[in-house]
Amino acid sequence: MELIIGLAAVALIAVFFISQYNRLIRLNITVDEAWAQIEVQLKRRADLIPNLVETVKGYAKHEQSTFDAVITARAKATTASTVADTAAADGMLTQALRGLLAVAEAYPDLKASANFMSLQEELATTENKVAFSRQFYNDNVRSLNTAVKTIPSSFFAGFAKVTEREFYEVEDPQDRNVPNVSFN
Amino acid sequence: MQAANRRKTIGLLMGMGVLMWCVVYAALTYFGGSGAGIVPIAVGIALISVWGSYYGSDKLVLTMTGAKLIQESDNPKLFDLIQEITIASGLPMPKVAVVIDDAPNAFATGRNPEHALIAFTTGILDVMDRDQLQGVIAHELAHVANRDTLVSAVAATTAGAIAIVSDMLTRMMFFGGRRDRDSNANPIALVISLVILILAPLAAVMLKSAISRKRESLADATAVSFTRNPAGLRSALEVLAADSTVVQQRSTAVAHIWIESPLDAKSVSKMFSTHPPIQERIAVLKSMESLG
Repeated sequence: MELIIGLAAVALIAVFFISQYNRLIRLNITVDEAWAQIEVQLKRRADLIPNLVETVKGYAKHEQSTFDAVITARAKATTASTVADTAAADGMLTQALRGLLAVAEAYPDLKASANFMSLQEELATTENKVAFSRQFYNDNVRSLNTAVKTIPSSFFAGFAKVTEREFYEVEDPQDRNVPNVSFN
Repeated sequence: MQAANRRKTIGLLMGMGVLMWCVVYAALTYFGGSGAGIVPIAVGIALISVWGSYYGSDKLVLTMTGAKLIQESDNPKLFDLIQEITIASGLPMPKVAVVIDDAPNAFATGRNPEHALIAFTTGILDVMDRDQLQGVIAHELAHVANRDTLVSAVAATTAGAIAIVSDMLTRMMFFGGRRDRDSNANPIALVISLVILILAPLAAVMLKSAISRKRESLADATAVSFTRNPAGLRSALEVLAADSTVVQQRSTAVAHIWIESPLDAKSVSKMFSTHPPIQERIAVLKSMESLG
């Protein structure tokens, strides 16, 4: 009888260990997958840009500085590798694209062209996909980091070789603009 | 918000279990041993009928609603929007179908995220803008993420089993009566079990509807956690509320799966409707907007 109880206790503890370990590994893999998704979407956006720039150029030849900004930002975005670098380049490119679309506003012919309209729709959905993949990544990093720091899963983090991961924080100057509040 | 809805669902499912137990207990009190044989038969019938449709839900619902599967090339914009939400939620890409119907509506089904299907009426695709449609897609994929086909299958199984048990037992009452009349059962207990047997199916349907309503609120909340944009779904629901056209096919069997119920307009009362009142859902989403 004692033997059975003893074996059952050992089995329970083993199940607990395995589930904690697997949970950490699973969270870590999800973060990896979420990161891969960000890269896929960023690549998709980068691939759209040459086409977009060419289309705008056809109508607005004198906006060279805007084109240059987009092209430099794109080059930075395609070479970045670490989380922080990618996020910084991503923010810069978002900013440059916003400038490009603002330029397009001034050219009614361009805005009306079928090519530009389909590119704009493509860009809109890609921007959303980039934003959602960032959000999914950050949510998963949050659960992973919480698991690494909280008991009991924190005891297994070293054993599973799972460590805290870096959040993807976009430097978007527009987000920093605190609205003016006046009290009068 | 999401956690509260989940707790309530569990509570209601437990309520179903308790109800089932009451029915079994009543059957035993009233009929003695002979009543007990009915229970496994009833549960068996309910299991087979409900789980058959649960397992093949994606295909079955297609034929029941007349939805047609579409490919990415048929509507690239819709697929883009769905892909956005699959990225936000981490779900696999569902199958997509369209129902030719002017009434704006949508639904999701499938036994697990890998076999998910979401469908839209041509009406909803025509009338809604990008943000609204995104909210609707997020709501449907929220049902997939929350495994609502499974939850409603469990609810339908228990409700079905309870209905079968009490139906069979009421028949036995009329035709055979109690087999062991000489047993010394308490008459008050007999009356109580009779009342339980008669009221149980009604209570089961009410519980089933309550579970469905909770899952709708939960799907709204989960949808917002995907898009972080309560305004999109809110304005989509406003469009649905303002629209008085109703999906042509009004089969009760699939009423609960639509985002806006095709039946509730003529529903007897709030207790039996499968969806929370749409104005209530809009109010909840508005309160989320003011938080963000």
